[in-house]
Amino acid sequence: MKRNVFAIIGTSALTLSLLMLNSCKSDADSPGFEYAPDMYRTPSIEPYVDYGEVRGRIDESKKVLLSARIPARNTIPYYGTDTAEVKLMLPYFRKPNVAFRESHGLYGVDVSLSDEYTLAAADKNPMGINVLNGEKILANGKELFTAMCQHCHGEKGDGNGPMVISGAYVGVPNYANLANLSDGQMFYSIYYGKGMMGSHGSILSKKEIWTLVHYVRQFQNKDYGKFDATGKPVMSAVVSDTMAVKP
Amino acid sequence: MEISRIQLLKRFKSLAFVALTFGFVGLTNFTKAQGEALFKSKCATCHQTHKNSTGPKLFQVRDKWAAGGAKEGSIIKWVNNWQNAVAVDPYAAEVSKWSPTAMSAFPDLKAEEIISIFDWIDAQPDPAAATTGGPTDPNAPPLDPMEEEGSVGWIWIVMGVIFIVVILAVGGVRRQLNIATSDNPEHQEKLTYGEELRTIAWKYRLWVGLASLVTVIAVIVTLFQGLYRINIMEDYQPSQPIAFPHDRHAGVNGIDCKYCHNSVTKSKSAGIPSVNVCMNCHKQINGEGKPFAGEIKKIYAAAGWDVSSGAGRYTGKTKPIVWNKVHVLPDHVYFNHSQHIVVGGVDCKQCHGDMKVMNEAAKVQPVSELNKIEGNIQLTKPTLTMGWCIECHGKKDVKIGDGKNAYYDEIHRRLKKDPALYKKYYQDGKVSVSELGGWECAKCHY
Repeated sequence: MKRNVFAIIGTSALTLSLLMLNSCKSDADSPGFEYAPDMYRTPSIEPYVDYGEVRGRIDESKKVLLSARIPARNTIPYYGTDTAEVKLMLPYFRKPNVAFRESHGLYGVDVSLSDEYTLAAADKNPMGINVLNGEKILANGKELFTAMCQHCHGEKGDGNGPMVISGAYVGVPNYANLANLSDGQMFYSIYYGKGMMGSHGSILSKKEIWTLVHYVRQFQNKDYGKFDATGKPVMSAVVSDTMAVKP
Repeated sequence: MEISRIQLLKRFKSLAFVALTFGFVGLTNFTKAQGEALFKSKCATCHQTHKNSTGPKLFQVRDKWAAGGAKEGSIIKWVNNWQNAVAVDPYAAEVSKWSPTAMSAFPDLKAEEIISIFDWIDAQPDPAAATTGGPTDPNAPPLDPMEEEGSVGWIWIVMGVIFIVVILAVGGVRRQLNIATSDNPEHQEKLTYGEELRTIAWKYRLWVGLASLVTVIAVIVTLFQGLYRINIMEDYQPSQPIAFPHDRHAGVNGIDCKYCHNSVTKSKSAGIPSVNVCMNCHKQINGEGKPFAGEIKKIYAAAGWDVSSGAGRYTGKTKPIVWNKVHVLPDHVYFNHSQHIVVGGVDCKQCHGDMKVMNEAAKVQPVSELNKIEGNIQLTKPTLTMGWCIECHGKKDVKIGDGKNAYYDEIHRRLKKDPALYKKYYQDGKVSVSELGGWECAKCHY
């Protein structure tokens, strides 16, 4: 009789522990034990934080997150009080053609009915390049180009980036074939996109794009942005052309 | 003589034929090479041979136009300037509705050059036909490691239960046998399991005492180790809405981390790319016929990209992709990415590991993994703990006086003025973050 009781207790304990073990599966979405969860689930606005759960309270209405959004329309980053810099940062005055809505997804952006790409040919690079800032602009340009462009356009700007070599992407032009493209059109294409290329206005500031325009010119003329001992540009025509300071 | 003359003539004829043939082949090769060069420099940005992209696919496009009832030669006119062709040919007018993006005009191209381009295009084989049909796809996503671990765990539990049952059964049999063969069956039978155990324990009390001491110490140590794991985020790997392979993007395709996480140099947060950044490449790369095509469809749904018509179009109906944050710091810690990347010059892989080889969802890399990466500062404390931050601030040197940061230049200037302080700072051959106040509480907690 006593043994039977032992057997019953033993079996039930074993079954119970088995069931408990079964519930011990790891949940990848749980960060594990925290000392003070209310310090992690912050009520203040932080990027990429789930406001559906603040201090243990679950609010279903806030569960749908505003995740990974582009900057609000016409906002500009704070760039100090340098007037030249601030002028450069003001919103781009050219608008995309209405067709860019369907082709490049530029909904929620002021559009134009005229072909502003053609008009952009008249725009000059407001960042003048001269003997004082030439090296710095091109060094910054190289850094930006490596991060933002080279995976498609290639380190040498020949359209043979690692994405094209791996066969993932086709149809990247060689900059050498685009020598007739004006600075303004190059800026417009980077800002709003062109053909297969998407709009990069949301991830690059205007200053960065103008820096890239300078850097890309180097692929078309290796003397671009270089100056001789007297401070005169080695390649006179184009460099003096971009000196006009106009936002 | 007569025969030989005829033979000579025949030989001459065949020679001439060979020469002509070669000449002809050479000529067509030349125009095809010209067509290829022209296609690659003028057309390839928007057109592909067998796939629609910005412009429609061009394979046998002349036959398509002829079948559609286009006028003779209007396709040549279209290439020179599409508006001229639309003005005279209703078929061309219909073609112009294919996409809202207008084709560039190429007035410089001569008719024979355009024909050479089309000749080259029509001679191209379909790349899709050549690649499909392979039994194993190298792009197949890896199996979920979590699931595998789970099944292995079950096997151990089942085996453990079987093992315990066998031991108990054997023990029971042995006990029954002992009772049966005992000299004093009456006495033996009176003992219950508990009493028997107590007799044995008393008999071997030294060993039992030692064993229980070891067990108690082990339990305490395990308990404390468990307590120390509280709030350790190592290996935290939340599920993500899209199975994003970092190795394909950053590794195979050589995309810089900063392209997608583009606010890393400007802001506190490194930034999760908005879906328009994904679409910069995935507008073209749709993964058709690949196992991951379904994942890319999720991007299209989020971006409102409708592929059903022509070149595809944005509908404007977007919805956010809700990614799960992996590296979570408490509210009372201030961490700024741009300070570490731009000013400190820290490489992403120091804290995030080598994402070029990471093919599963992003996770908090344990410090042992981070230490394996070449060029990383060797640390001992678990990733994302305060000890880990402090340790790195004590080891990492700040490059002061290189003219890149005015604040550090000023410190460098003052250091050079004060030889005693200079000596103290440079004792270990570098100026570490902690020596510049990197261990001050208020650097991160305020």
